[in-house]
Amino acid sequence: MPGASATPAAPSILEVAGVTKQFGKFVAVNAVSFSVGEGEFFTLVGPSGSGKTTLLRMLVGMENPTAGEFRLRGKVMNDLPPNKRPTCMVFQSLALFPHMSVGKNVEFPLTVRGASESERRTRAWELLKLLHLDPNKYYDKNVTQCSGGERQRVALARALAYDPEILFFDEPLSAIDARLRKVLQKELKDIQRRTGKTFFYVTHSLEEAMLMSDRVAILRGGKVEQIGTPDEIYANPTSAFVAEFMGEVNLLEIAGNGSASANWLSGAKPVPVALPQTLPAGEARKLLVRPESLRFLTNGQQADNVLEGEVLNEFSLGSRMQYHVEVAGGLVLTVERLREQRVPLGPVKLGWDTRDSMLLTA
Amino acid sequence: MSAGASRFNLSSRIFGALSALPFTLVMLFGFVAPLICVVWFSFMPAHTFELLNRPTLENYQTVFGQTYWRSLLSSVLLAVAAVVILLIICYPLAFALAKIFNKFATFITYAIAVSLFVSENIRLYGWVLGLMDNGVLAGTLALFGIKAGSMLYNVPIIVLGMVYVYLPFMLFPLILGLQMVPDQVREAAFDLGASRWQVFRKIDVPLSMPGIIIGSLLTFVLALGALAEAKVMGGQKIISIAAEIESEFTYGQNWPLGSALSTLLIALTTVLVFIALSRLDLEKLLGRSREP
Repeated sequence: MPGASATPAAPSILEVAGVTKQFGKFVAVNAVSFSVGEGEFFTLVGPSGSGKTTLLRMLVGMENPTAGEFRLRGKVMNDLPPNKRPTCMVFQSLALFPHMSVGKNVEFPLTVRGASESERRTRAWELLKLLHLDPNKYYDKNVTQCSGGERQRVALARALAYDPEILFFDEPLSAIDARLRKVLQKELKDIQRRTGKTFFYVTHSLEEAMLMSDRVAILRGGKVEQIGTPDEIYANPTSAFVAEFMGEVNLLEIAGNGSASANWLSGAKPVPVALPQTLPAGEARKLLVRPESLRFLTNGQQADNVLEGEVLNEFSLGSRMQYHVEVAGGLVLTVERLREQRVPLGPVKLGWDTRDSMLLTA
Repeated sequence: MSAGASRFNLSSRIFGALSALPFTLVMLFGFVAPLICVVWFSFMPAHTFELLNRPTLENYQTVFGQTYWRSLLSSVLLAVAAVVILLIICYPLAFALAKIFNKFATFITYAIAVSLFVSENIRLYGWVLGLMDNGVLAGTLALFGIKAGSMLYNVPIIVLGMVYVYLPFMLFPLILGLQMVPDQVREAAFDLGASRWQVFRKIDVPLSMPGIIIGSLLTFVLALGALAEAKVMGGQKIISIAAEIESEFTYGQNWPLGSALSTLLIALTTVLVFIALSRLDLEKLLGRSREP
């Protein structure tokens, strides 16, 4: 069932209740409600302009909502300024203090709280170790001399030193190269598990969200489009928007005619396809067929839908191969198979079963 | 490296040297040569007008033996007072211009810059007309039966004159300095629990330090050599070191003594400039090494 995990498994720590933010006539965030569980890795994901940054800025206290409430453990925190909130944020730019050493950066939240020098040092030492930064080497190092990955870790250590109830992240990994990003994503998940903190992550990459999160909320035009665990979202996207956002998929435009078969309308002439269920006449849907659900049929093999086509291009994804296959005169479908199941370029028979497809609204 | 590239390097080097030539000549004849003359003159016997006499230290003995050091001291104190007051006045304004005002900031900046288009002396005599006995201010107050008299010719008014005249030289470096403080860094400090005062002390001040140092240095050096403020607005209440130097070169007809005073002033300024600049990363200020 879609949205089965709309509420968290653990008792909720943060509740967002009907929050709206308007800039003049523009509604950036539109009556958004959800809750985040204690110790959960929760990710808010959406394309640019979906309102995720505005929502985050309100959550950390840098903007005020036009309507609605934020409750932390039941206490309304709308009017608390950022320095009075028991939450803190890792910025997109990281916002490290360039005039301080790594150690002083990490100690900053403790310094402003008036902690003793030995206490600050002990805690900074612990945190640097937790984040795989050798304190002997890094404590006195200037932050401006650190590499991108090291700076990420310093920013995280500094935020953890604040000991926040919830740690917010504003796309801190977006400026990091792809290989290092994958390492840091897994490290972040590991730190979250080890510290038991509630992480609230914001990103425009659903792939990143799926990799790290316990639950994901997808934002579209200032509204929550879908909320659930990565598994639920993968298995049951509620709309073509979510499915498309998740990565490369085939979405076939379908017009219903009151039966379990209908016409695929995208091409020059309609192509009849079998559907997983009956679609009433006049209803427009998109039929989701994942690249891995498409099979190349050899002689004698059967499938609910069979199309003649031609393999145009082959792309290597490592253990898998991706193909662009032209069918029905000009339409291109994306197919992914294991490397062992490679096919040569040229004419093929392509098929999929109705149970591997899904009818979605736009 | 190919032959073409090295030829390009050579010609660009010559082009660079040629471009720098006019300025080098101006500095050589207009700055370095007179400076050497002044320093050399300070070692000539008193009341002589030639550079070929036997060097002597008598002028320096005169400076430290008589009361000239008082003028130097009062000039330094006046300059320090002006710099401190300027910092207090300009920092909040610079902060507003750099971080808060947005479009309005351009207008204010132009308005302040325009004041530089009017000659300093004219502006100071304007103040005199305003503050003198039966002047604009005293006259207006007299209408309401308040007797004010002259507000000129005292130490605070000299400092006021300096503060007023040198304000742009403090303000603009401070604005540049504060523009170097990234907004997200301030937000992050606030988010990590710092109070406004802590953000100011631990983030704003250290990160805008280049602007603070340059502004202070510029106004200090200008105020130290200031002549007009003490003369026009201060009467003869305080004799600034610049006034002493002027009178030695004119009425006193003692060029070597004037040169000795000048040399001391230049030495003092040079030491201060080097101390200040050694604490400053000019490369960073000019934006050559960007913050990662």
